[in-house]
Amino acid sequence: MSLTTGQRLGVVLLVTAGSAFAQMDLGGEWAATFQEDLPHRGGVQLGDYTGLPLNESGWRKAQSWDESARSTFERQCIPHVVTYAMRGPANIRFSKIVDPVSGELQAYSLLGSYGRPRTIWMDGREHPSELAPHTWARFSTGHWERNMLVVETTHIKTGWLLRNGAPTSDLATMTEYFTRYGNYLMLASFVNDPVYLDEPLIRTTNFVLSLTTNADAWGNCGPAQIFDELGGRPHGWVPHYLPGQTAHIQEFLTKSGVPAEAARGGAATTYPEYIVKLEKKDLDNRIFPPPAPGKSFPRVVSPQTSGTAGEISVLPVQGNVYMLAGAGANMGVQVGEDGVLLVDAGDGKATDQVIAAIRKLSTKPIRFIIDTSANPEHIGGNERLAAIGRAPGGGRAIDSAGPGAMIFAHEAVLAEVSAPSGQKALLPIGAWPTEAYPGDSKEVTLNNEAIQLFHVPAAHTDGDSLVFFRRSDVIVTGDIFVTTTYPVIDKGGSINGVIAGLNRIIEITIPKDWQEGGTMVIPGHGRICDEADVVEYRDMVTIIRDRIQDSIKKGMTLEQVKAARPTLEYDSRYGSDSGPWTTAMFIEAVYRNLSGK
Amino acid sequence: MRSAAAALVILAVGAPANPQAPAAGQAPAKTAPAKTPKESAPIDLTGNWVSVVTEDWRWRMLIPKKGDYASVPLSAEGRKIADTWDPSKLASDGCKAYGAAALMRVPGRLQISWENDTTLRIDTDAGQQTRRLYFDKSQKPQAERTWQGNSAAVWDRLTQPGGLGVSLQQGPGKPGALKVVTTNLKVGYLRKNGVPYSEDTVMTEYFDRLTAYGTDWLTVFTVVEDPRYLNQPFITSTHFKREPDASKWMPTPCEKPEARIQKPEARIQN
Repeated sequence: MSLTTGQRLGVVLLVTAGSAFAQMDLGGEWAATFQEDLPHRGGVQLGDYTGLPLNESGWRKAQSWDESARSTFERQCIPHVVTYAMRGPANIRFSKIVDPVSGELQAYSLLGSYGRPRTIWMDGREHPSELAPHTWARFSTGHWERNMLVVETTHIKTGWLLRNGAPTSDLATMTEYFTRYGNYLMLASFVNDPVYLDEPLIRTTNFVLSLTTNADAWGNCGPAQIFDELGGRPHGWVPHYLPGQTAHIQEFLTKSGVPAEAARGGAATTYPEYIVKLEKKDLDNRIFPPPAPGKSFPRVVSPQTSGTAGEISVLPVQGNVYMLAGAGANMGVQVGEDGVLLVDAGDGKATDQVIAAIRKLSTKPIRFIIDTSANPEHIGGNERLAAIGRAPGGGRAIDSAGPGAMIFAHEAVLAEVSAPSGQKALLPIGAWPTEAYPGDSKEVTLNNEAIQLFHVPAAHTDGDSLVFFRRSDVIVTGDIFVTTTYPVIDKGGSINGVIAGLNRIIEITIPKDWQEGGTMVIPGHGRICDEADVVEYRDMVTIIRDRIQDSIKKGMTLEQVKAARPTLEYDSRYGSDSGPWTTAMFIEAVYRNLSGK
Repeated sequence: MRSAAAALVILAVGAPANPQAPAAGQAPAKTAPAKTPKESAPIDLTGNWVSVVTEDWRWRMLIPKKGDYASVPLSAEGRKIADTWDPSKLASDGCKAYGAAALMRVPGRLQISWENDTTLRIDTDAGQQTRRLYFDKSQKPQAERTWQGNSAAVWDRLTQPGGLGVSLQQGPGKPGALKVVTTNLKVGYLRKNGVPYSEDTVMTEYFDRLTAYGTDWLTVFTVVEDPRYLNQPFITSTHFKREPDASKWMPTPCEKPEARIQKPEARIQN
């Protein structure tokens, strides 16, 4: 049997139709409807967390949030984070991204609603490493279930559920169901945040197909658009309300008539049986009830643990710089024609694997190692890694190109790891810095890139260095900045030094646009970051410092300060009840720093 | 391969209206009985569900004060009615807030079950109401208006009508949601504080199912159209979480004293 041309065309159409039309068409402009949850979407008030399943950490963090934060330099260009963006009062546009060769759907583009443009990958790709950067919109994949587009989103920056400080952490993930009913689109979104929510938050948002809408792409917002909106504020100022300050909450309660307990939210307040409590007025209506003694806020296990010892992860960061994780502390690796430069050397327990990972990036010799501090997790690999390297002229060898990479560090590091002749040193001589710089800074060049070392006095230790790759636009921070714990205040360190170091990082970093990207940051431990992540961490450390300082002013003892739980809302993210650096140790270190006791 | 392809073309282009029709002189072939709506349900809506009030909390968990009808697209006539609401009569006209156009927004629990092969039944503990969603189009609607009205149900199947080109290019119909159109309603309240809907109201709903983070959810997308008291469709979507049993079922009558009214001094927001 032979087919006519028309029949052949019919076969082609029929056979190929399945993939192209296997889903509903979501393409086009959709106008948001605002007949639901208007008080939370059209100008929400401070203190109104009704209906949110916030846990105690969540509502306490929300209550400390000060609206002025939006006007600080670091936050003026922050767009709506994806955990909120679709609730914004704006319109959206769905577009298909189609492979020009195969014609297959690769992704959807989702634009508008005051958030950053989103790409929803439909090609089955995996989500990035847990050590990869987070953004405001970050990484989404999708698939179809019946009539619904299901979207999974991860790698979201620390953000919010409402524009009144109701928080989400950077461990939050989101699942969304987009369903088209005729010319209506319903989005059911679930935000799961083990740090700040009792249970996942579900919200439904509705849109109507619009032939006259044009979703706003919003142009640029970057350093060029930022101005001093506050004026006269000190450098590094972090607006926030201290525990017990309630006037900003009271206003909402008075005007709305919502009981204080209900206004704090919580999963229990979202179920019908809570009506019985409301009717009986069986409520704790203190606006700021003190933390329950002994109540535990266990650490949510963070995937950002720098990997498991011996399993080295290699992540491209930017330009010539990579991050190696899994060798104790994070390492920065710069590669190029001249050779390899390492920032930190790991703890020395997985040096074979580190060498193997470096060799996948470059076969050139290791020329320089820069130690960010004398912390053993950062310098344990010095001796072996230096030994297999080769300095670019000079160095430790008598001739001009002898064996061994040069090791740079602040002079306080050398003082810490070395010892005068006849005395036992912390590390063998082969691990000592070969170039211990004094003062505030040191300059290095390699691979046609200028590299600056900035000493931060009395921060994590007394010998900390920030390492800035100027062409690649990457900073390696050492343990002044981590994403896994409270800052460790070690020998010679101080809380105010840590905060100064964090502010120094924020000074150096310049976001690309919308307060994300641009200068990238490799922390001492944890995932790759940018300025916005450092700002969140700086804010947290500053807020805790301010609380403890305020307690000291009130004459509180260390035990009283610990009982007041000044770190409560951050404990599930950064705290620990055991291990080498517990929450209690952190509070005690800050207290002793500030009180001098 | 060629013959298979040709068969596909024939199917697509010129399939007979009834391929199982007997040829002349042949006995009629036995055909499988059509599936009932219950049997053909693409999603299982039955079970115990609880509303989780994460949106409009102040208007659903509390009773808004008089005149607080923000976000409801009330017409001038609708506003006039809402402004006559008397909070002191809450206990006597309370059932008005449990009519079909508002019932899914009332915090409470649902039990959904098949009453028979063509009728899906929804019972609520809040207000102790029963909705019947009729798939059988031949059933004659009841004449009198009721709180729950007459609900015609159909499994929505996402296909696009059209000519040869369209039918060639579209894939098989996708099983969709349960679509319900409700009419013949008594006058009721969209909110407990007397925000009205009229007898002319037509409500279209889509019931759907989804799963996230290990939990089953029921969503109800609702469009209330009332040419009298609304000047545009009132669109909401409401979600319910599956519960394993009815142990938390808490029947409460629709007419009862209420202690949840927001303070008189409370100011209307927005």
